[in-house]
Amino acid sequence: MKPANVIYTVLLLAVVGGAPFIIHDAYLIHIGIMIFLGIVVALSMNLMLKLGQLTLAHGAFFGLGAYASALFVMRLQLPFPVAFLLAGGSSALMAAIFGPVFLRVKGVYFALLTFAFGQVLNLIFQEWVDLFGGNNGLFGIPKPNIFGLRIVTPQDFYFFTFILATAVYLFIVALYKSRIGSIIAALDESEPLSQSFGLNPLAWRTAMFVVSSFIVGLAGSVYAHYVGIISPEAFTFWVVVDALVINVVGGLALPIGSVIGAVLLVPLPELLRDTQQFQKLLFGIIVMLALIFLPQGVISLKRIFRSK
Amino acid sequence: MNLAMQIAANGLMIGLVYVLMALGFTMIFGVMRIVNFAHGTLYMVGGYCVYLLYGKLSFNYGLTIVAAGAAVGLIGLVAERLLFRRTMGNELSGMIMALALAIALQALAQIIFGPDEHTIPRPVSGALFIGEIFIPKDRLVVGGGALAILAVFYWMLKYTRVGLGMRAAAQDAEIAALQGIHPKRMYAYAFVVGSVLAGLAGALMAPIYTIDPHMGEFPMLKAFVVVILGGLGSIPGAVLGGLLIGIIESGFATILGATKAAIISFSLVIVVIMLRPQGLLGKVTR
Repeated sequence: MKPANVIYTVLLLAVVGGAPFIIHDAYLIHIGIMIFLGIVVALSMNLMLKLGQLTLAHGAFFGLGAYASALFVMRLQLPFPVAFLLAGGSSALMAAIFGPVFLRVKGVYFALLTFAFGQVLNLIFQEWVDLFGGNNGLFGIPKPNIFGLRIVTPQDFYFFTFILATAVYLFIVALYKSRIGSIIAALDESEPLSQSFGLNPLAWRTAMFVVSSFIVGLAGSVYAHYVGIISPEAFTFWVVVDALVINVVGGLALPIGSVIGAVLLVPLPELLRDTQQFQKLLFGIIVMLALIFLPQGVISLKRIFRSK
Repeated sequence: MNLAMQIAANGLMIGLVYVLMALGFTMIFGVMRIVNFAHGTLYMVGGYCVYLLYGKLSFNYGLTIVAAGAAVGLIGLVAERLLFRRTMGNELSGMIMALALAIALQALAQIIFGPDEHTIPRPVSGALFIGEIFIPKDRLVVGGGALAILAVFYWMLKYTRVGLGMRAAAQDAEIAALQGIHPKRMYAYAFVVGSVLAGLAGALMAPIYTIDPHMGEFPMLKAFVVVILGGLGSIPGAVLGGLLIGIIESGFATILGATKAAIISFSLVIVVIMLRPQGLLGKVTR
């Protein structure tokens, strides 16, 4: 990065991170938190899309992280940081178990397979009342306590999710830049070619599926402790739809696309709750227009302007 | 034995509606390679057409169903022209376009009709007993209607040039184009016919269940399951899958309850994809 860009980036992060010191409106803070969580979920999707494997089970994996975290804290009295990591671990474990089986199929079949799997998980959340509380879900999920540092107010959550989103973003950028990033690209580009270099495509795909699921599980954990009440309806396929749309509107090619997409789209349904249906209509239309006029996402605007 | 017969009868009647949904879905995928996530909302629009024309304006029920199919077909035509034609050749974009259409249509329905559930007076009531088997007459109308629509659809697919073109395009778009079958025209036909089938299914089912903006989600899930089971893009597969799922679910729902039945049918789908990704009757794609 050029020195000027570093300064801009640091300044931007400082402004975004410091916003709650100036803005006290609880609702705006809430939207900020939802944007940061949206970024994390969208980035986990971006990793899967980079592999060329569209998972539609991430809504349920997000839920798995949320339920796991809530249950570890409430039932087993584990400290939040442990539950937080175990939440990511639960989703990652699920991916590690089923990934090697699911990732054998490709393209639309993988999408539909994970869709069905997500449905099954969600139905289990509904049906296993003793553990997951059925359709009522779990409530009274305590606020996080990180070694004495309590995260209670929206401002606290703002900082926490801001740090999480930044960390996940930096991790994903570093991952794509590393040798692993080249391997991922090679797998999507040509599997036989990457095999001829001695790579094991299934093992790499599974590894990335596990990493992506870990990230979405972490997001689920924070979500659960933030809202305090979780129920199966929050963990449907629509979580994936939102993350997918964020990526497509922002642009799939770079992780910054996920960030831009989340910043543009997450506030839409959140703003103006009383006209929610108009917001949804607008959301649908924006996505249509984006697909027609900006098929490479908002990040492609930069290239378009440059070429002029 | 009577229980088994009853389960089979119930399963068959609901299965025929699944077949209607799944046929349109699988055809759109086969010809256009689009996973049509808007299929459930098209079903919902069909339901609202019946609510409006039959429930509110008291037109003839049979005519209302035809009108609902036509209205939804028109929506399909416009959507294909304005939206799906632009994402042609990109499965991911097509899928997201369908999602966007679903979100927009659902929001529109909620803006126009409100979020509340509506009921429609049943055009027929009462029940028949065949031996010991109990068959509600309204279900019989739905099953018979679905069967009639399927017969027309089969005739169209088998004996008309459009049907022949669609089958050819679904099998191999490039070779079909070489034979002078205009692929873009086939896309439009496939999407319109698929939409009409979804609209008709929604119209048929409208008096049985309540009408609300989310009414299409469940049937779409079913269409998913059926189509994966039968094989994506396979028309005989959709018929076989629809009837199978109808009967299996009706059996498990009677014994275990609806949620567990749904878990079982989704698990079945997972097993099928893992063992035979192309589904029961699907062909291996290159």
